Amino acid sequence: MALRPLPIPVNHRPSVSNLGSPIHDSRQFSRRNFIKLAGAGAAAGTVVSAAPAAAQSMTSSERALLLLAIDVARDAGAHYSDGRVIRTQFEAVGARELRVSRVQSTDSFGINIRVLVGGSWGFSATQVLTREAVTKMARDAVAIATANNAVAPSTAVLAPVDVYPNASWVTPHSIDPFTVSFEDKAALLLKANEEALRGSNVRYAASNILCVKEERLVATSEGSFIDQTFYRINPSMNITAISDDGNDFQTRGAVVEPAGRGYEYILGLDLVGNAPKWAEEAALKLEAPSVEPGKWDLILHPSNLWLTIHESIGHPTELDRALGYEANYAGTSFLHPPEETLGQTRVGPDFMQFVGNRTEFGGCATTGWDDEGVPAEEWPIIEDGIFVDYQTTRDQAEWISAQTGITRSHGCAYGQNWESMPFQRMPNVSLMPGKEDISEEDVIAATDHGIFIEGRGSYSIDQQRYNIQFAGQVFWEIKNGKKHRMLRDAAYVGRTPEFWNSLDVIGGDSTYFLGASFSDAKGQPIQVNAVSHGCPVSLFRDIDIINTA
Amino acid sequence: MAEAKGLSKDDLQSISNRILELSEADHCRVRINSGWRGYTRVATNRITSAGGSEKTSVNITSVFGQRVASVETNRLSDDELRQAVRRSEDMARIAPVDPEYIEELGPQIIAPINAYYDSTGELTPQTRAVAAALAIKQAQSADQVVASYMDVNAGSTALATSNGFYGSHAHTGVAYTLTSRSPDGRQSGWAGDEANDWNNIESQRVANDAVRKCRNWRKTALEPGEYTAILEPTAVGMLMRNMVNVFNQRTADEGRSFFSKPDGGNRIGESLFDDKINIFSDPAYLDAETSPFNSVGQPLAKQDWVNSGRLQELARSRYWAQQKNQQPLASPSNLIMAGGDDSLEEMIASTRRGVLITRFWYIRGINPKTISYTGLTRDGTFLIENGRISRPVTNFRFNQSLVDMLRNVQMLSPAVRVAASESSSVSTPIVVPAIKVDKFNLSSVSDAI
Repeated sequence: MALRPLPIPVNHRPSVSNLGSPIHDSRQFSRRNFIKLAGAGAAAGTVVSAAPAAAQSMTSSERALLLLAIDVARDAGAHYSDGRVIRTQFEAVGARELRVSRVQSTDSFGINIRVLVGGSWGFSATQVLTREAVTKMARDAVAIATANNAVAPSTAVLAPVDVYPNASWVTPHSIDPFTVSFEDKAALLLKANEEALRGSNVRYAASNILCVKEERLVATSEGSFIDQTFYRINPSMNITAISDDGNDFQTRGAVVEPAGRGYEYILGLDLVGNAPKWAEEAALKLEAPSVEPGKWDLILHPSNLWLTIHESIGHPTELDRALGYEANYAGTSFLHPPEETLGQTRVGPDFMQFVGNRTEFGGCATTGWDDEGVPAEEWPIIEDGIFVDYQTTRDQAEWISAQTGITRSHGCAYGQNWESMPFQRMPNVSLMPGKEDISEEDVIAATDHGIFIEGRGSYSIDQQRYNIQFAGQVFWEIKNGKKHRMLRDAAYVGRTPEFWNSLDVIGGDSTYFLGASFSDAKGQPIQVNAVSHGCPVSLFRDIDIINTA
Repeated sequence: MAEAKGLSKDDLQSISNRILELSEADHCRVRINSGWRGYTRVATNRITSAGGSEKTSVNITSVFGQRVASVETNRLSDDELRQAVRRSEDMARIAPVDPEYIEELGPQIIAPINAYYDSTGELTPQTRAVAAALAIKQAQSADQVVASYMDVNAGSTALATSNGFYGSHAHTGVAYTLTSRSPDGRQSGWAGDEANDWNNIESQRVANDAVRKCRNWRKTALEPGEYTAILEPTAVGMLMRNMVNVFNQRTADEGRSFFSKPDGGNRIGESLFDDKINIFSDPAYLDAETSPFNSVGQPLAKQDWVNSGRLQELARSRYWAQQKNQQPLASPSNLIMAGGDDSLEEMIASTRRGVLITRFWYIRGINPKTISYTGLTRDGTFLIENGRISRPVTNFRFNQSLVDMLRNVQMLSPAVRVAASESSSVSTPIVVPAIKVDKFNLSSVSDAI
């Protein structure tokens, strides 16, 4: 199918690199990671190893400025503070048809501090890395927190966390994307476009590679000092076919997924080799009959299902959202209040397991520690179909500890760059594959009257995450257990709990992979978060399909 | 008077000059964005976060022949700027040829526009906290819980090219939005304002409106279907802001837009909408002012896009204009839909049966050929019967073509600036009326509050 398993470098042990780090580590090694890494070891012998020493990205003067900010904040009256020096580099190469449409690089570097006065937060940031500017920044943050605490005080209480005075972590990778030349990246895209444009009726092809390198030094007034470097990479391609009479056009997009990996991931995708197949799908859509609205069985490929998970499971299990903290923008949640839903609300069948994690290999939200110095971990969110836990940060853990018995943060704090105050962001939230080794072909064979959907299309969901309308890229009509023909203009609609309770069959480990987005939006000011969702091929019974033509 | 936020005119010019001096490329373009953002958030009747930051970033585009690359950095020492220039040149030298690159613009006649309001630039965290406290008090007295956001921006931009273009522009913006909910989460109301000038933000009225909407709204059943709809200005703005990118000639000429002619070319000059529809952009429009030039230096002036329902123009990049032997035309920097004389009350009074909609959420495109979108109503949806609001009703998903909407408009109120972005951050200024429209497609019920 769209993605194939990739060799995983032998030295890459997600969540292992900090196992030897100080004091305490309560995390469990992910079962899936273990299986994947063990399976890949043999094939990975030739991959060049990344030097862990690269984690020490920040200089001693930057470390000194962060300590200065924390000292100034303490002297000005903050009883807790945490700060970050963050450098974010983006590199983008894009090609449209047979020309290069962009070659861009951005570099943004600055320092911030978040302080607690009473129970109220204040935040300030600056790009001027001098002692004078950082001193002013820390005082500004305390002044904002003090003003808030005087007028409309909040009540933040921080969950306990172990102290990591000298920790580091680097995204597992074998090829640093920033060492691959623009020329090479452009050549790959131009070649892929060229292959796509050979397809019948294909008139437009656009492809891009966006690379991100994020160096992040976090310090807390409790004594943690954590230096991390993240790599994320986002390849994309859109192929458009135009009908002979020029009156119709159809696009095949979302052909590949972003990942928290190095450039070896791009090479493994084989954009050039797969382009003709995607081009053919775009052309087939021109000829495809428009879908007949009504009840259909739905087989969702992970390239489509991941976004459904993101929207209907990921977002409603954000604790701040459930409690009204995002009511003015991102919305609230159908999973509320916690005391009436945790451990009680059935979201799906009893073989449905969702975990939150920041440890999964290749995940865009995978990390060593979060922005509050909390170590990455994996925990159940939906267990045997029952909702059991939310995503949390340090100031949220106590809100539900009476129900969950968990007093610590799940490590979900993240601010998108040096200008941004960290808050609760989505970890990787993944649907576990079934215990049986059920393949995609098995799932198709179990379907008499169905639609198999690949790729994410237009997505929309209400702010409490009930009413869904999700489309896709490619729709195959399944008739009597076989792929019959391509359809178009379909979207599936429904209500989240009924939708997940109609889950009937899930594929095994071999059908599991991660889809991802670089642009999960939340907060005011709006911040984006990169996040992945793993899932197997899944079959849902009797879903309402509408025609969007 | 306090110093304006963002780099001064002199500093903008000297950094631009410095970079152009350092440049060894055939062509160079420099864009500087310098500004401050302050914000205050409220949730659960408390200030939950507040902060501020200042940032100046410099974007350098270097060109050799038709090889183009750009570098952006916020590291501004002389050495670091020199490195950034060299890096953009190194990248450009190896970048493949871009056949669509057009040589940089030279000097243009640009009428300056004042979009910087000291009232906004000098807004303090204390003033923001006081507005927040006012809303909290208002909500508490009605036994409600408020979540709000005030976003304040102030800064300056500059653009310079090696062919002699130079322009700079200072601007401010503020958006204040508020959602008030009942403690059990079963009722919700929203109100918001957006302006360049803080003096035009009515924070007391915003709080009153949201609290009143929350008090009056709770969900009661109503069948989905096609309804006469009265869309408040914010709801109209959230849909119409999508038109900014639709007024594009290239996608029309290439057969990828509603504005494409079936046999090739575009539909400029055709009557496509109701003749009450007039859409224009104007960088000097009061309290919706924008920069008088765009990111490559094309001048912006008042421009009609739709005149009495007739498609007047489509935006053309410099490349596409050259291909088509036409003059380039910059995309709109704001969007104004001219209003009418009807009041919201008159629209309601004239409606036998219809639905009143406050705003939308999660709007996504579904079909560019019909300019169709889906999304959901939110924070105040009411049934109108026999000229009166009869009861609050459930929220709905809509699936609606904007073409049909602009053909079915019956009445229009005067136009106002609205907070049209879903995240309620200050964004492209949108000025629109409330409208009454026939056959608005509310396709399914949403259980969301």
